[in-house]
Amino acid sequence: MKINDVVKAEEGEIFDIELDENILKANAELAQQNRELLRKQGVKAIDVMGSIGAGKTSLIEKMVQKLKTHYRIAVFKGDLTTTIDAEIIGKHGVNVVAINTGKECHLDANLVQKALRRLDLEATDLLFIENVGNLICPAEFPLGSEKRIVVISVTEGPYMVVKHPFIFMDADVAVINKIDLAEAMGVDIAKLQNDVKKINPKTKTVTTNCRTGKGVDQVIAALNL
Amino acid sequence: MHEGSITSQIVENVLREAEKRKAKRVLEVHLEIGKLMFLNPEQVHFWYQMLTKNTILEGSQLLIEEKPGTVKCPKCGYEGDFQYVDDPALHMPMPTLNCPKCDGTVKIVSGKDCFIKTVKMLI
Ligand SMILES: Nc1nc2c(ncn2[C@@H]2O[C@H](COP(=O)(O)OP(=O)(O)OP(=O)(O)O)[C@@H](O)[C@H]2O)c(=O)[nH]1
Ligand SMILES: [Mg+2]
Ligand SMILES: [Zn+2]
Repeated sequence: MKINDVVKAEEGEIFDIELDENILKANAELAQQNRELLRKQGVKAIDVMGSIGAGKTSLIEKMVQKLKTHYRIAVFKGDLTTTIDAEIIGKHGVNVVAINTGKECHLDANLVQKALRRLDLEATDLLFIENVGNLICPAEFPLGSEKRIVVISVTEGPYMVVKHPFIFMDADVAVINKIDLAEAMGVDIAKLQNDVKKINPKTKTVTTNCRTGKGVDQVIAALNL
Repeated sequence: MHEGSITSQIVENVLREAEKRKAKRVLEVHLEIGKLMFLNPEQVHFWYQMLTKNTILEGSQLLIEEKPGTVKCPKCGYEGDFQYVDDPALHMPMPTLNCPKCDGTVKIVSGKDCFIKTVKMLI
């Protein structure tokens, strides 16, 4: 028998190294930096999260229309690859920074920090940050904003809240949009509101039709704007 | 959902640590994942294999330990699992921020984190 190949143990010693390293710490620290920067510059930042197509952009448009005489507004728009939403909002004459997340399904504090560098914070009072449509991931990645809105719509069916409790736990305001379609969809709005209340009694719920603007004043009031 | 980005951060951090210590190979990585991270361990394993190709982590063992979430009530001091609502219309009980012991609102203490606990390296 001829031995062609001898498997040799690799030289060296094996060590067990205790790291105890928190993977989300980097994001949390950047979020804290963003929060401090925004506070120092007197900018009120509001996260707008929610499911795909729920009406996040429509809600921001309506709020911008109502608030732009009182506040100098800017909008960050997170999207996978397109700038469609950014262009829609830009028509209202406010500053818009499009943030393309590439393959990521959510914004993170680092991307927001880069976008903040492109904005004249001295000339900004109010900042809306539209996240990528997603009810799961943004809950894990704080951005440094002061308030968080979650938008869902009745067209997504009656279980949207109970299936994603964690995003509502962090929400200051839950917006239930497209109430004009509730009857057609056979969705009980009171039940959705009650689900939010069960998950987090402190979250305020508002029902809206962001096509007509119905309920948008209540969203603004719920944000203390 | 975000398994890809989380796993690439894990691989990056381990690589950085291994380079710092001039390790020849990484043999084992031990993770602790909080339940509230909603990471699917199977997908984390899949991404890990993909992302460690052609690095000194290639072929290493990834051990994942899932940790439950805990909450605490500032009003009565309760500490433990969430209160769940059972709705016959749901497939699963829904966690809530209501305190199971009083009418307070609880805060999440743990479960929303992901730790690299230990790494076994050949140095
Ligand atoms: N019927 C009805 N349609 C609405 C309402 N609000 C928004 N829409 C429509 O729903 C569609 C999606 O609205 P968007 O505001 O783009 O939703 P979005 O959440 O920003 O969507 P993504 O950013 O793509 O996830 C658009 O065609 C809107 O005109 C509403 O209250 N009622
Ligand atoms: Mg949009
Ligand atoms: Zn209690």
